[in-house]
Amino acid sequence: MRILRSVALCLLASACFLSAADKIFPYPYTQEDLPNGLRLITIPTDYPNIVSVYIVVGAGSRDEVEAGKTGFAHLFEHLMFRGTAEYPPAKYTAVLKSAGAASNAYTSSDLTAFHTTFSKEDLPTILSMEADRFQHLDYSEADFKTESLAVLGEYNKNSASPDYQLYETMRGTAFKVHPYSHTTMGFLKDVQNMPEGYQYSRDFFSHFYRPEYVTIIVAGDVDPKKVRSLIDERWGQWKRGAYKPRIPAEPAQDGPRRAHVDWKMETIPQLAVAWRGPAYSDDSVETAALDAIAHLGYDQNSPLYQKLVVEDQKVEAMEAQAPANLDPELFEVDLHVKDAKDLASVEAQVKAVAQSFVEKPVDAKQLELLKQHLRYEFALGLDNSEAIASTVASYVALRRTPETINRYYDMFSKLTPADIQRVAKKYLIDRNLDVVSLTHDGGAK
Amino acid sequence: MRPIIAGLVFAATLCAQPRVVELPGKSPLVTIRLVFTTGAASEPADKPGAAALTASMLSEGGTKTMTYKQITEALYPMATTIESYSDKEMTTFVGETHVDNLEKFYALMRDAVLHPGWRAEDFTRLRDQQLNALRVSLRGNNDEELGKEALYNAIYKGHPYGHEDLGTVSSLQKMTVADLEAFYKKHFTQANLIIGLAGGYPAGFAERVKKDFAALPGGPADKFELPAPTPLQHNQATIIEKDTRSVAWSIGFPISLKRGDPDFPALLVAQSWLGQHRESGGELYNRMRELRGLNYGDYAYIEYFPRGMFQFQPDPNIARHQQIFQIWIRPVEPPNAVFALRLAMYELDKLVKNGIPAGDFEKTRSFLSKYVNILTKTKSAELGYAIDSKYYGMPEYNEYLKSALAKLTVADVNRAVKKYLHADNVQIIGVAKDAAAIKAAISSAAATPMHYNSPKPQDILDEDKKVEVWPLGLKPEDVTIVPVTSVFE
Repeated sequence: MRILRSVALCLLASACFLSAADKIFPYPYTQEDLPNGLRLITIPTDYPNIVSVYIVVGAGSRDEVEAGKTGFAHLFEHLMFRGTAEYPPAKYTAVLKSAGAASNAYTSSDLTAFHTTFSKEDLPTILSMEADRFQHLDYSEADFKTESLAVLGEYNKNSASPDYQLYETMRGTAFKVHPYSHTTMGFLKDVQNMPEGYQYSRDFFSHFYRPEYVTIIVAGDVDPKKVRSLIDERWGQWKRGAYKPRIPAEPAQDGPRRAHVDWKMETIPQLAVAWRGPAYSDDSVETAALDAIAHLGYDQNSPLYQKLVVEDQKVEAMEAQAPANLDPELFEVDLHVKDAKDLASVEAQVKAVAQSFVEKPVDAKQLELLKQHLRYEFALGLDNSEAIASTVASYVALRRTPETINRYYDMFSKLTPADIQRVAKKYLIDRNLDVVSLTHDGGAK
Repeated sequence: MRPIIAGLVFAATLCAQPRVVELPGKSPLVTIRLVFTTGAASEPADKPGAAALTASMLSEGGTKTMTYKQITEALYPMATTIESYSDKEMTTFVGETHVDNLEKFYALMRDAVLHPGWRAEDFTRLRDQQLNALRVSLRGNNDEELGKEALYNAIYKGHPYGHEDLGTVSSLQKMTVADLEAFYKKHFTQANLIIGLAGGYPAGFAERVKKDFAALPGGPADKFELPAPTPLQHNQATIIEKDTRSVAWSIGFPISLKRGDPDFPALLVAQSWLGQHRESGGELYNRMRELRGLNYGDYAYIEYFPRGMFQFQPDPNIARHQQIFQIWIRPVEPPNAVFALRLAMYELDKLVKNGIPAGDFEKTRSFLSKYVNILTKTKSAELGYAIDSKYYGMPEYNEYLKSALAKLTVADVNRAVKKYLHADNVQIIGVAKDAAAIKAAISSAAATPMHYNSPKPQDILDEDKKVEVWPLGLKPEDVTIVPVTSVFE
């Protein structure tokens, strides 16, 4: 019975949710390294029947260090569906179809993830087929060129959105040297030139699609021992590589920067206010402190949100994102401002809130409420095996283990008002500031 | 321990009282879905958008005793929200909470729905939000969703489904709080309410919720007396002119079939074979994207699926008594745009003439029999599907589909294809920059060849020769150009 069987583990899990002393990631898991460097993380969840497999490749747009070759990590996400000798695309698709699988992939700055969710009886088939494409991907130049057009189609789809243009402009404004200067889609001119990059794509595969870059997460109705034996059988012979990209560090910013986007269509004016921040950390309070500022300063419960969105109604939407990437990223506040004439005043208020964290410690009671909020939020998000695998995948890109979730939330639970002030003083300063606005014709800039 | 019958407990339904759907369990999470069987199809003719705005006033406005700010503060430590969405026949409120917080959360959700505050400042904020969703998010920023919604509005012109759920710009500008209160009083009734509960809520909770919501007005349930949409006598196209990089297409026509009807599983197999949403196995995806690199993806539907570019599985509780068949062609580079439209029409024609190949039937049936588990992978979705099943008067969806699929033959599927699908009398919507050039090309017999960047197998090139001149059945007078600024006005 579906309902009854789903219960036992949730009960175990619930005991962990509220106590800050316990680990926030409630599921017991196994983490094993094969001799070739491949890592396997198996998480039995007791949500019945379903298994979710996430294969995380530790390569994203961050690794695109060569000029003219941006977007190749993402292109590879596409090429991986172009087949092998054993499983040509039609056969690959037919197997997924018979398995009733939901299958897709995504690319971010730090990772490329391939995910499939399906019924448990198909696990051997899926793991075997995935092993084949990761080791023996084989596509012709003609297929490569056709796939590059699908990627251009994706760029076209995204480019219809002003949010995307704002995001792209912010990347180029805040980063000049580090590959975070481009989006995962890549620069348009590079996407248009992709059809000429067949040989480069073969090199890219040979560099990054290697066991030492890959972590396989299997979550759901599974037995870790059986999973390990399936992995040994089909992934054990995969050869380790030796490539390490040299990723240039972004020099410290030397003063505020600003850019503007003129949007062709009617749009709500948009504003992004960002500060250059640190890399993700689970052994210092820096990431946790900036995450706390994002919430206390700018989320729905914050005084600024209540003023701008609910009371004055000058802003339609506001959200902030603390940096959580392998390399130093932005602390960014994004806003939809109803009238372009209010852009300057809204920007000033966003900056004033940041300054308030620099000047005085936050209210300890508010911080405790936030800690409670985040623990419930995390617990509510793990409501099926796919969600569990997906959550773990996002952290695996950073530290290659689910344990980093526990370490991070542990850091958060110990966070003090003084920590937050110290981190604000270090990062939320004018020298680190990047502002991008977007308006339709004639809007204030 | 509550009795469990096939995973569902249906409370006895008494006339004009809220119906209850329960999925009890011991999970520490509790989901509450309050579904009112009312929506855009119940709105007065001059008040389009009233149902959606009423829903927002309840879920994102204050109550009689608390301001919106106070509600936000109270919800914060629980890390939850009250969400709402509204479609033609259903308006839904959803909340999920840890069982520790159930009492506090339920009290907030109950008061939001039973005792709305109707404050002017909430109204102004939420109306602006809805106007911007219509004008900016839909019309300005999202060519694909714009095309899909415009397709529905064209097919249902003059019909209770014939306007956007969000309303029109002019109706929202004239809307008043009194309009919403009137809509609420008339339609947020006991008879229209289905209460859904899932997870580890305590014994007696369901009875209490039902008793609380008996405070809603009595009166009859909304009746959707829907005329058949006017069938087209030939193909028709509307090109929405907009400054954009590429061309998005949506094509479709009404079908006299809905979930629970005897032929639904058969047509679902055909639809999945042709274009399963966001999966790479569909015929359209394969022929258009994989073989030719035309765009990012191509899919087909027999049920309404809004927000498809943001999610892989549909939301439950957008049940409708009338549906359309639809093909979604994601943006195409302008030089190949008309070829892409012709190819989609050619593939549709092939399906109608030949049905699905016997060899693919088994794979597609197997896919759907298992994929249904993924549709209901969360308790909230499972509960949503159970509520939809109650509304449609059909058995639990998962079991219904699996048992119907098990009995199906390829002949059943192809009979359903012949009965419900056709490749003529189709409504076409395009979103394009150079609308005049697109109009000229689609209403002409001149070839629109495909431009490739790599060699293609001879069978593809041979097929392209047929596709590039595939008749679209459009004369210039069948093609209308509208500026994007006039859509949803």
